[in-house]
Amino acid sequence: MNARENTLRKDVSAALPAHVSKAAAAALSARDVTRSFGAVKAVDSVSLQLRPGEIHGLIGPNGSGKTTMLNLLCGFYPVTSGNIAIGSRDVTAATVQQRSAAGIARTFQKPRLLNSLSVLDNAMLGGWNSTRSGFLAAALATPRARRENADIRARAEEILCGVGLREVLDRPAGNLDHAEQRFLEIARSLVAQPSFLLLDEPAGGLTEHEIAQLAAVVGTVRNAGIGVLLVEHHTDFVFKICDRVTTLNLGATIKHGTPDEVRNDPEVIAVYLGA
Amino acid sequence: MKPISSSRPVLLVLSLVALVSLPFWAPDEYKIHLATLIAAYWVLIGGLNLAVGYTGLLSIGHVGLFAIGAYAFAILAGTHDVHPYVALAAAGGIGGLCGLLLGLPSLRLPGFYFAMATMAFGMIVGELSLAFDGLTGGGAGISVPAFPAPFDKPATVFWLVLSLAAIVTVMTWNVARLMFGRSLVALRDSEVAAAAVGIPFYRTKLAVYSFSGVTAGVGGAVFASLQTYITPETFVFDLGMFFFICIIIGGRGSILGPLLGTIALTALPEVAAPLAKLGQFFYGIVLLLVVLLVPEGIGSVFHLFRKQPAKTKHVVKPELELLSTALRKGAAR
Amino acid sequence: MFAVLMTGVAMGCLYAAAGLAYNVMYSTSKVLSVTTGHIFMLSGVFGAYFMTILGLPAWLAFAGAVAVGMTFGMVTELVAVRRILARSDEHLWLLSTLALGTIVAQSVALWWGTEPRPFPRLFAQDSASGVADQKYWLPIVAVLVLMAALECFYRKTLFGKVFLAVAEDPFAARARGIATSRVRAASYAIAGAMGGVAGFAAGQLTFANFALGHMLTLSGFIAVAVGGLGSNIGALVGGISLGLLTAITSYYFGGEFQQTIAVGLLMVFLLLKPEGLFGNQKVRHV
Repeated sequence: MNARENTLRKDVSAALPAHVSKAAAAALSARDVTRSFGAVKAVDSVSLQLRPGEIHGLIGPNGSGKTTMLNLLCGFYPVTSGNIAIGSRDVTAATVQQRSAAGIARTFQKPRLLNSLSVLDNAMLGGWNSTRSGFLAAALATPRARRENADIRARAEEILCGVGLREVLDRPAGNLDHAEQRFLEIARSLVAQPSFLLLDEPAGGLTEHEIAQLAAVVGTVRNAGIGVLLVEHHTDFVFKICDRVTTLNLGATIKHGTPDEVRNDPEVIAVYLGA
Repeated sequence: MKPISSSRPVLLVLSLVALVSLPFWAPDEYKIHLATLIAAYWVLIGGLNLAVGYTGLLSIGHVGLFAIGAYAFAILAGTHDVHPYVALAAAGGIGGLCGLLLGLPSLRLPGFYFAMATMAFGMIVGELSLAFDGLTGGGAGISVPAFPAPFDKPATVFWLVLSLAAIVTVMTWNVARLMFGRSLVALRDSEVAAAAVGIPFYRTKLAVYSFSGVTAGVGGAVFASLQTYITPETFVFDLGMFFFICIIIGGRGSILGPLLGTIALTALPEVAAPLAKLGQFFYGIVLLLVVLLVPEGIGSVFHLFRKQPAKTKHVVKPELELLSTALRKGAAR
Repeated sequence: MFAVLMTGVAMGCLYAAAGLAYNVMYSTSKVLSVTTGHIFMLSGVFGAYFMTILGLPAWLAFAGAVAVGMTFGMVTELVAVRRILARSDEHLWLLSTLALGTIVAQSVALWWGTEPRPFPRLFAQDSASGVADQKYWLPIVAVLVLMAALECFYRKTLFGKVFLAVAEDPFAARARGIATSRVRAASYAIAGAMGGVAGFAAGQLTFANFALGHMLTLSGFIAVAVGGLGSNIGALVGGISLGLLTAITSYYFGGEFQQTIAVGLLMVFLLLKPEGLFGNQKVRHV
């Protein structure tokens, strides 16, 4: 079935799982998204909805399709079927760059930074979508180009200090330790003024203390009205800060609900959490 | 990216004074000519630096665009008596157009494919300059007019080329320190991150590559005028390698590094005659050593002399109030 | 006219051999080495040197040329590839192999001279043999033998199967205890030997010429771009297409537009079918 046709059919909502509401203005939603590699379904008909001002956890054992799902939402992989929308705007066929312009920002499991540039420069990169000046304007250092640069610099500085990197603004990003790099990537994403922030296992390799810092930052992000998708392995962390949690196994959704509902679900316990 | 000069304005001013006054303190006319030649190379290399050093586009055949600029100038100003300044501008325009045309199909390809495409382009230009001998003089070559007065003396033509080099330098420095420059580095070092923040690959690469075509065209034109006579032999693949090596040994992501690299590699064979004989062999060795031992370029060695903060672990200290304010300031979508 | 076609096919086979060398080296290292063409150049030059200057018999010179090729292949891996692969910067291997190729070509230019020098006959044959001249048949036979040998190697020998495993999935191979770096070194040695064989066989066609290196690097690349990286049949088809195309256009339009035509062919393919005719590698950015 053509992914586009799916959006246009009015009766599609009748086929949706109960937890995905119909009228979701400005939510990032995935409906029956499937991603196959040959005969293998890495993601199997998963639906979820990321609402503004909400932290949505996505958990599951290794190979359950969590990161694939994140990549599908951002556009790094195309869907095999299903559709993805922001509000009523279908973005299933949109490129990564187009989705970024539409308000989706993300971090990576292994931070992708420009090691030769400073922390500040890296964070400023996130402001790309708000620039309008092109090559010639930059080469001639037009007032607009300089103003855009200054504005983004100011915003990046604020956000970097906000996430806790005030001390290292001028360091080359390659010199940061692991935790700092993760927070830098988050800062870069926030400089983009996103509506949705998708975090790919941000707690990986962090100490208890650092995870607490991360939780505080993510909470502040949510309170500012940004929808956060948290793909994670640290289930304690997930259950503590998430508003809703979706659990995947072998590419398919096995449980969706509040942290308490998910944590106590027998199938989730059997497949993932253990006794 | 911190401009290099911000930490040493005095040094910069002194260098500029020395540079501008060069015709007065240079020992002989040949040295002035050499300096002019270096400046002509830098017109191309400064622009190419954005494409190669910042964006990572391995245009090893850029000499083809250099040749096009040179021949365009020679044919327009020489054969057709177009005014040299107009011919110079035209050479830049044609270089830019050819850079764009070369980039359109090639910039979608991965690194090695793109490099080979430019190498092939360089060879084609060589071939065509032999083939269309009615236009280019074929293997025998073509003579190139000098600029009219007041730029017909060694000192004045030096200042002319120096001005062009300065314009290119300022333009590239602007790009490097503004947002566009960051997007170039992102394309070079992490395409994944670049896509995630919304940078359009193809359009950005086309823009910077076309610019490098313009500077190649202008550089080729002044180079041709300096040489007074050009043949297809002048623009062999090895010359393209030379441009490339100047950038790499100077260091990617820097303007000063490749500039020093250009000066060093042009001047060195003049100073050390045995090196002149070895020519390309020497350049190849230098490139290999730099790539294996100092891949960040020799320019990065200067950074070692600057005070490096210790790689101590910092505790991340979020300032949540500040973060909250900053996030709410963001324009609603 | 037949002579033109034969030249085209014979040169095309040489291009195909360069393509095969690319494939072998690429399969284990994911590196496209600029030194590929120079292997063949070295073999031709040293073959001529061994026979004309040192007066060695043809079979000994052949063995020497193959040894030179193999050594250069291993040097490429050791010097230009091994250290570079350890770093994650993917541009560096292009620069290092480019540098090495330049060094080798320039060294040969300094030692052997920049003029192409003749490559002697390998078997006694009348120089008016026309189409049956060995200078055509040697490269053609050489490439076919090399392709057959590669097939045998991959399908019939254990080491060949190990190669395929590493090419398919280096992580899985390493997990199984295969020393991927040794396999890589061996593959470069094999590519070097192949270059030695084909370069020597084609010597009478190309002459001993230092400039052959860059030319074959480009032509071999066109062969795999057209035929599809990773496919030996593709390299053969691509190489022969290129050879025939340049030979025929040279015949009708003079040799002036050889490169232009060749690159025209390349560009058409890269635009329309970037993965080549038989390619299974997807050419993508990320």
